[in-house]
Amino acid sequence: MAAAAGWYGRKRTRELALIVCFLAPSLAIFLLYRLIPLGWNVVLSFQSWSPMRPARWVGLEHYEEMFLWDEVFWQALWNTLVWIGAAPVAIALALGIALLVNSDLRGAPVYRTIVFLSYPLMTVAVGIIWRWMYDERGGFFNWVLRSAGLIDEPLGFLASFDMALPAVIVTDIWQVIGFYMIVLLTGLQSIPQHLYEAARIDGAPAWARFLRITLPMLRPSLFLCAVIGLLNSFTSFDLVYIMTNGGPGHATELLITYIYKAGFGQTRFDYAAAITVVQFALLLFLTVLANWAAGGNAGAVERD
Amino acid sequence: MRRHFPWARHAVLILVSAAMLLPFYWVLKTAITDENIYAYPPRLTPLDPHLFNFVDVWYLIPFPRYLLNSAIVSALAVAGNVVLNALAGYALTRHFPAKRLVLLLLLSCMLIPFQATIIPAYLISARLGVLNTHLGLALPLLSTIVCIFIYKAAFEAVPKSLIDAARIDGLSEWRIIATVLLPLSKPAIATNVILAFIWSWNSFMWPLIITRDAEMQTLPLGLARFLSYLEDTTGALYAFVVMVLLPGILVFLMAQKEFIRGLTSGATKG
Amino acid sequence: MTLPAWMRSRWVVVPGLIAVATVAWNVHVAANATGVIEGRVVDAQGRPVAGATVTLFNRSFITNDPRQRTLTDADGYFRFENNDSHAVQLEAERADRGRSERRTVRLWFRAQEHRLAAPLVLTAR
Repeated sequence: MAAAAGWYGRKRTRELALIVCFLAPSLAIFLLYRLIPLGWNVVLSFQSWSPMRPARWVGLEHYEEMFLWDEVFWQALWNTLVWIGAAPVAIALALGIALLVNSDLRGAPVYRTIVFLSYPLMTVAVGIIWRWMYDERGGFFNWVLRSAGLIDEPLGFLASFDMALPAVIVTDIWQVIGFYMIVLLTGLQSIPQHLYEAARIDGAPAWARFLRITLPMLRPSLFLCAVIGLLNSFTSFDLVYIMTNGGPGHATELLITYIYKAGFGQTRFDYAAAITVVQFALLLFLTVLANWAAGGNAGAVERD
Repeated sequence: MRRHFPWARHAVLILVSAAMLLPFYWVLKTAITDENIYAYPPRLTPLDPHLFNFVDVWYLIPFPRYLLNSAIVSALAVAGNVVLNALAGYALTRHFPAKRLVLLLLLSCMLIPFQATIIPAYLISARLGVLNTHLGLALPLLSTIVCIFIYKAAFEAVPKSLIDAARIDGLSEWRIIATVLLPLSKPAIATNVILAFIWSWNSFMWPLIITRDAEMQTLPLGLARFLSYLEDTTGALYAFVVMVLLPGILVFLMAQKEFIRGLTSGATKG
Repeated sequence: MTLPAWMRSRWVVVPGLIAVATVAWNVHVAANATGVIEGRVVDAQGRPVAGATVTLFNRSFITNDPRQRTLTDADGYFRFENNDSHAVQLEAERADRGRSERRTVRLWFRAQEHRLAAPLVLTAR
């Protein structure tokens, strides 16, 4: 680079060197902890390797095992899809709240703060709080249901094969709904008011204004919410680990918790890498799909 | 239609708020309760409320140690973010060859969730010899792509004439950043500090993977460990939860505006 | 008197208050962490009991372990000097007068100086 820019003179070279110095630390971190790991995952997924043995190429062996023999993988994949499928519900709820908060309503900032408050909290702590809410003896839900006479025996929400996954998903929605709301609120506030006034003069009813103006104008925000929902299936590790650790059986196993267990529980780094590749491919595919559904103008994503 | 039913809307929002706040109340009342918390039916208000559960947490587990580890990691992450992102953000406001490549690289890195990289990230950290160290805990958190773009936007908003004037005065690039750009980009710095703090403070999976000794554990790990081996009947676990959440809530309430701006900066541009 | 703007910023005020409170608390702790626990033992009629054995239990995770013993003086007073726990239990006993209930004393910090407000009462059994 410096040679190509040589004839600009020394000043230009020094400037370039400076820019490289400024960029280098950040880029090094992203290379080390984002790009290289991504590639390494792919390489590792085609190898048989563990810390004590030399690597050996085994082609598609891990994928074969995963797709043909591993029932836990299919269960985890299905759970992950259910988890992602719950995101539109949460986004719809958040849109409702955002519409209510986005107005000249008195006290709107207070409501907004309360709804958003759960998002920046430590997920581990949120998991423990909700374990306690679901508890058989001291928990809130059992107390309400038993007091109302709906059930006679306490329900072990997190120990039940049918209810554990919905219970954890409810917790997840409780935590991220504020984030969806904030994103949608920002989107709502960027819609020019004169559009609504014009529609009102034309006599368009409220639902038509919502369908024809609000929803189309919210597209970028909705896309962003969808991507957050997709990434959420990756970032929900903390919640599942704390609340159920994938149990009972594998009823709440997500791909990401399975990756952790395969990699660090059974020291099968190669197999875990193969699952990671599958999950990442799934994520990429769904993101492209969401982008296509949103009309192709991708917003930027910023959750890590 | 919107303006006509303020009471109905207040009612709905109050219900929503109650649903959002209820878990906090439930855990708070448990944390200050003296009775056996597993007694049924649970009390709605604590009996003989007191704060001694918090004292128990401080002494019975190495809480000060966890707090120190968390504080060190967060401090490293915040410092790293503020400095490295500012430098990178400044570099991106200048023209240089391959700038488009760098931008493309950053944007694509944004789509890679950190959780998708844990296996190789662990192996890389092992080669770097930073397993089980504070630096290793903080290293992946030292720079954040969103924040680079927040800095870039803030720097680009500074009038070019100011920078040129400073350059004519013979200030070095470092001095220009420190004395001209940064003082004019305080909101960007605040956003950076807040995001870096919240993310590093809450981070769980990475510390879980790379720490081995109890000595190096951070607060979320301490919490998980406490949960796994202490099923006691006092509210100590929930007192621990409250103690861990408080700093985050405090920082969030202090800097709600900056935090939200950071999270939605992608949404408005998209 | 008006403070300069940077001193009124919440980023200075809140951490500042926290720092002040931390220092104040630590000074208070340092001044009161003598490890002394004092009290008195009486019998059911309220008369002081001399020569009763008082046991100090320390709270560990879920158990309470006996750590120190001492005898009451002629007026029924006792004094422990090296308590290093934050949650202790006290129990008094004299073979011919019976035993007291075990009293839990929770302290705000380790080795806090503490004087029992009500005496331990021995009851025959």
